[in-house]
Amino acid sequence: MKITAPISTPAEVEPLVRAGARELYCGVVPPDWIRRFNTSGVNRRVFGNLNGYADLERVIDNAHTLDAEVFLVLNAQQYGEQHLDALTEIAAHFRSIGGNAAIVADISLIASLTANVPDLAIHVSSVATCRNVESARFFAQLGARRIILPRDVTVAEISAIATELPELDIEAFVLNDGCVFEEGTCHTVHLPMNKGGPICIDNYQFEYRAASGEAPAERALRRLEKNDQDYKRWLWYRFGNGFSVAPNGYPWGPCGLCAMPAMHAAGVHSVKIAGREGASERKVKSVELVHEVLRRIEDGEPETKVRECAVGLRDAPSHCASGYMCYYPEKRSQPEIPVHAQPA
Amino acid sequence: MTSTSTPTASITPNPPAGPIELGFALVDERELAAFARHERVTRDDYLEQLGDARQCVTLPDDAEPTHFFLGSEFCEHLLPSVEAIDRAVALCERWGVTFGLVTPIACDSLFEPLRAAFARLPAGAEVTVNDWGVARVVQREFPDLRPVAGRLLGKMLKDPRLPSATWARMYPNGLRAGPFREILDNLGIGRLELDFPPFGAADMYAGIDFPVGVRAPYGYIAKGRICKLGSLALDVPEKFSPGHRCRRECLGFSEVGARPGTRELQTSQRGNTMYYRHAPGMTAAIAEAVANGWVSRIVLSGA
Repeated sequence: MKITAPISTPAEVEPLVRAGARELYCGVVPPDWIRRFNTSGVNRRVFGNLNGYADLERVIDNAHTLDAEVFLVLNAQQYGEQHLDALTEIAAHFRSIGGNAAIVADISLIASLTANVPDLAIHVSSVATCRNVESARFFAQLGARRIILPRDVTVAEISAIATELPELDIEAFVLNDGCVFEEGTCHTVHLPMNKGGPICIDNYQFEYRAASGEAPAERALRRLEKNDQDYKRWLWYRFGNGFSVAPNGYPWGPCGLCAMPAMHAAGVHSVKIAGREGASERKVKSVELVHEVLRRIEDGEPETKVRECAVGLRDAPSHCASGYMCYYPEKRSQPEIPVHAQPA
Repeated sequence: MTSTSTPTASITPNPPAGPIELGFALVDERELAAFARHERVTRDDYLEQLGDARQCVTLPDDAEPTHFFLGSEFCEHLLPSVEAIDRAVALCERWGVTFGLVTPIACDSLFEPLRAAFARLPAGAEVTVNDWGVARVVQREFPDLRPVAGRLLGKMLKDPRLPSATWARMYPNGLRAGPFREILDNLGIGRLELDFPPFGAADMYAGIDFPVGVRAPYGYIAKGRICKLGSLALDVPEKFSPGHRCRRECLGFSEVGARPGTRELQTSQRGNTMYYRHAPGMTAAIAEAVANGWVSRIVLSGA
């Protein structure tokens, strides 16, 4: 099982590979793209991209020297038909300088790359919301070599897909950055924070209505409001514990470390660390965290021991005990937490 | 909230092939009982179901019901029971309209219930597919059914918070791309269902080489698999995590509101999905698209 990590500058290659990443993914906005299309939307993120083709070439050279692969994100949910040729040119250039795979969500672009850049591997982005065997077969037929599963799947679902389709590489999320909605069915942009930020944490003021159109009965409303409070707490975890890091520098959740033994056993090819836009130090600490767990799995430690280690790595097991910091809460380790150390 | 867009394809009106098709999409199978009292169904029966949102719909004078849909695009836990499907099919036979089953993005465990549901459908019934895997199953195992690409497959930017039309052009839709057309053809999909987005224009549907239906008067903004409301009766670790049975709380409650200090589209959330309600300009633009023959069906549905 390999660790797939995000990069946004050539300087991140060496520390991330030394920390244990064997696969790196990045985006690039070619200099003529904005001039041609008057948008920076080459991929899903406006920020966190490499500075141009020269940087991309440096990333590939450095990574290959260190025996790591490089994947290019062309992962917007959709592209206009006017973009397809330009994107195919980007992918062809990427392949010509040694790039290993493109991460793609748009089915038209997948078809175009398969036809026109046949020696470039296609990884189906999590943005494609491919989360069943039949759908994975559909993408395989289009030319995909790897399926990156979306965030909100269960380990049982991951295992079923990986077991049923051994000819496909399966990649699953393991750390960082938690969309609330499914990426492939969230048709919004992350606005600047002063304009609202991501819609899932924007300041919507909602009121409940019953099916009749009226306010819910008092008792129901109390239950709904209690559920809202729990949800806010879950949201805080979903966004990295309020966008903070643990005292020892490791990133908070969302986290799938406890699920890694099961994913390894199921034959999952890679585990993905999200966060291209994050700081370099956060990326390195993320890889270190995942690598420590992977090392123990590969050394043959029993699953329970690995999970015990996983919840101890951040030195704050109470957050793990909340159950809200997990990508795969059904696999969380449940350490004994002293009452005084339990989260409020 | 509409503005002019510049489609790359021709904006020549298509000659209307006949009266527009009109459908109603029902999610809650319990509401079939209200429909069952109608010996025949009329456009007013459909519009009445929308409550005060009916004011956000403009229909051509000759639009009368041609289709009735049951099921959810957004949630694996809202697949109708086979009994409800049977009732709905019988109602459609009585009314002389075509039945359609609406299906969501599926996890693997949903495929057997889906197959059981498809097996109840008469030849010629439609299946609104929102998952490529489900589309494959319909094509391969139920060739008598007619798959329609649902609006989860017709990707477009639909963020009601966008400050201007310039933002809306950041990620244009790819509905006219040749490969998209070819892939739908290969799956036997003959129709496309779409939303009308904020900052859209009537001619956004021009040049799409497919019969197009539009959902009205609500568009969906985003949908998740994690469901706040569906977690109401759950506890950790099931709470706010995927794949767990809920009590379908979303059929009893929704949330309506806005961002303070804005005059944006009315927004709501029901279960795992956020919606915007069409503003008058959007309603007019859809009517214009219908008049020009760019849209051949309107599917009324709630939020």
